[in-house]
Amino acid sequence: MQSLYFAIMVLALLALVFGAILGFAAIRFKVDGDPIVDQIDNLLPQTQCGQCGHPGCRPYAEAIANGEAINHCPPGGESTIKALADLLDVEAIPLDEEHGTEAVRTIAYIREDECIGCTKCIQACPVDAILGAAKQMHTVIVDECTGCDLCVEPCPVDCIDMLPIEVTPASWHWQPPTDIIATSNHAHHAAPQGDVSHG
Amino acid sequence: MGRIWPFHGGVHPPENKQQSNQPAIVTMRVPKQLVLPLNQHIGAPAKCLLEVGTKVLKGQLIASAQGFVSANIHAPSSGTITAIEERTLPHPSALVGPCIVIDTDGQEQWIDHAGIDPLSVDKGELLQCIRSAGITGMGGAGFPSAVKLQAKTQINMLIINAAECEPYITADDRLIREYSEQIIAGIQIIRQLLNQPACIIGIEDNKAEAIAILSQALTGIDGIEVAVIPTKYPSGGEKQLIQILTGQQVPHGGIPADLGLVCHNVGTAKAIADAVLLGQPLISRVTTVTGKAAAKAGNYQVLIGTQVSDLMAFAEVDLASTSRLVMGGPMMGFTLTDHQVSVVKSTNCILASSALELAPVADHHACIRCGQCEVVCPAELLPQQLFWFAKAEEFDKAQSHNLADCIECGACAWVCPSQIPLVQYYRFAKGRVKTLHAETQLAEHARLRFETREQRLIDDKLAKEEKRKARAVAAAAAQAAKRAANPDAEDPIAAALARVNQQKQAPATSVTAEPPEDAYKALKTAAAITRTKLKKSSKALSDALASGHDQVESLQTTVDQLTLKANAAQAALSAYETKLGLDPEHEKQLQVAAAKAGVVVRKLEKSLAIAEDAATIEAQIVTAKTAHATANQALEAYQHKSTALQQQTQES
Repeated sequence: MQSLYFAIMVLALLALVFGAILGFAAIRFKVDGDPIVDQIDNLLPQTQCGQCGHPGCRPYAEAIANGEAINHCPPGGESTIKALADLLDVEAIPLDEEHGTEAVRTIAYIREDECIGCTKCIQACPVDAILGAAKQMHTVIVDECTGCDLCVEPCPVDCIDMLPIEVTPASWHWQPPTDIIATSNHAHHAAPQGDVSHG
Repeated sequence: MGRIWPFHGGVHPPENKQQSNQPAIVTMRVPKQLVLPLNQHIGAPAKCLLEVGTKVLKGQLIASAQGFVSANIHAPSSGTITAIEERTLPHPSALVGPCIVIDTDGQEQWIDHAGIDPLSVDKGELLQCIRSAGITGMGGAGFPSAVKLQAKTQINMLIINAAECEPYITADDRLIREYSEQIIAGIQIIRQLLNQPACIIGIEDNKAEAIAILSQALTGIDGIEVAVIPTKYPSGGEKQLIQILTGQQVPHGGIPADLGLVCHNVGTAKAIADAVLLGQPLISRVTTVTGKAAAKAGNYQVLIGTQVSDLMAFAEVDLASTSRLVMGGPMMGFTLTDHQVSVVKSTNCILASSALELAPVADHHACIRCGQCEVVCPAELLPQQLFWFAKAEEFDKAQSHNLADCIECGACAWVCPSQIPLVQYYRFAKGRVKTLHAETQLAEHARLRFETREQRLIDDKLAKEEKRKARAVAAAAAQAAKRAANPDAEDPIAAALARVNQQKQAPATSVTAEPPEDAYKALKTAAAITRTKLKKSSKALSDALASGHDQVESLQTTVDQLTLKANAAQAALSAYETKLGLDPEHEKQLQVAAAKAGVVVRKLEKSLAIAEDAATIEAQIVTAKTAHATANQALEAYQHKSTALQQQTQES
């Protein structure tokens, strides 16, 4: 009988100790905010284009955290969907065409001699990438432009072009080799054959 | 000679050096045109200083370095700048980039230049001399040399790379044989800059003549020794050479300076000697032209900016038998599709190969997982795993398998029995990793800007609200001050409020001060008109409903609206009446009573004329008259009271 009381006492004591540890940890290591929203937000391309139907990337991240589909982001495309699927442990699904198709990244350019200085594009730009003042010519700071397209529609004189980013030798990268599997038996003796410049 | 350490992997491809290492270096004739890309080095492109049409002298500065990691460019020969335009670059992408085009005049007229005595100047001046000479690494990567010589950490050992491990290339071999004195002078200058560290010249044992010449030249010189290393590709890789000579490995993501080491090419040492001792900037270099298609294979002193086509013509390269023209060696070079590209500061070899030498791009087979690539990888990576990850575009996994440590030497591709272009996969993966990284950074930047903007908009809104409130308070204070100054004046706000209240209490009273009777009448008329309209519309609606007319809906709306209006008018009327204390029912009753009394009086008077019983009837008439008068009085009093009330309301 005494051993039974002893066991109960030990268990009660353990429960108290662990409870205290858990309680302490809950206060000491409290995480503010919703980390999953931050993690999702970090994977989104931050173009703030609103093609997903939300006013910016963070609202969409919150919507995803609340169960919205992960395939509503055309600028992110397949890679973003894949990354989100990995993060949320769901299946990667193809991009929802309703929200747009994955296109090459573009940058806005203002045809400056046609600009009338209405400032409408400045107000539309979600990242303050357009410089100008009323009745003064506007221009896009290309390094800041996310290519969200939002400035094109408000322009009353249609002087904004979305142009693909030019490839320079600095930004150029190798493409994967064309994946041809040979069927015939090639001789492999002429040396050196390790020339890697198959491009 | 010190100890030699081994490194993992490596291959032994046929050396093919004897084709080009026999003849002495030939100085190529000055070509008609020189094309100088503004970015021949790692780092920021140089900025062109001169305009089209400017005459330049040999050695004149034509483009200056922009930023710390950049290099000057000098005119390699005298002539005129005829264009500054986009030309195809000597780059695997074959993209165009800005170039300065000089049409040479053949005079080879030097700009004034003079060397300095390295022992009589301080380090800063020496470094500036090397920097302004535009010297970049001559081994292949093209990193600005002055940056490497400005190491912040203590350098304990200088390694001079003379290994030249890649097949076919013999430029360094010939350079050592013919310019050993200058090379050693250059090494001494580098040592002076780095506080006299020990120096080892690493050279592969397949260059017996060069080793002999170098050893002889070094007799009596302390601190510099020659380390002969076994021939194995890629022992000339910076990290591999460091491992061979010191047994140390450059840490992942680190540079040799972290180990107290710095590594320079022999060609760089000679360029430094020329710059310091002769005052000559880097305007030419030794380039090997070799391959079966080259009739005069050998090494050529070529001006920077010489077109590859000119060099090929000079070396009598047979274009018809050239299957592939490679810039660089067969292992790490890239195929040139356009022959109109320049020889740049880092071009050490032009390989004009026949079809027998370099097999044309072959279809590759499936990976058979033989593991040969892992055996030969000098960076001790798992090439096969990296290949699968790159193919599946699993770049995070490739990164965790240290993709970044791959030196792209091509040993794995060389041994691959399936002829898989492995290095191209790694280059692709590296490129994508870089792009993704850049995109992540851009996204982070955009997010910050977006959030800042949102915050700014909110702040603006709040500030506006604040300002509005402040203005209201200021206005109120001003009013109070005004009132205090003139207490008799009627407070306009209070007056306005009173007016508003009054209007609220008498909503039916029209603004144009109508006489009260008229107002009452007008209200009555309005109520009647709306009632009539409502009746008409209701009738029209019922007709329309009956005949199935198509305007039922609009009629219905009209009726609804009129009903509301009629109700409102009636309500206004009733409210007005109630306010005035008028009771239409009571008035009617009084009127009826008066009329009745009148009728009775008239009847009785008639009866009096007829009847004789005058006394009785007279009494009755008096009673009736009294009743009639009372009734009339009551009515009059009532009407008088209502008029007075209305007037009072109007006045107030």
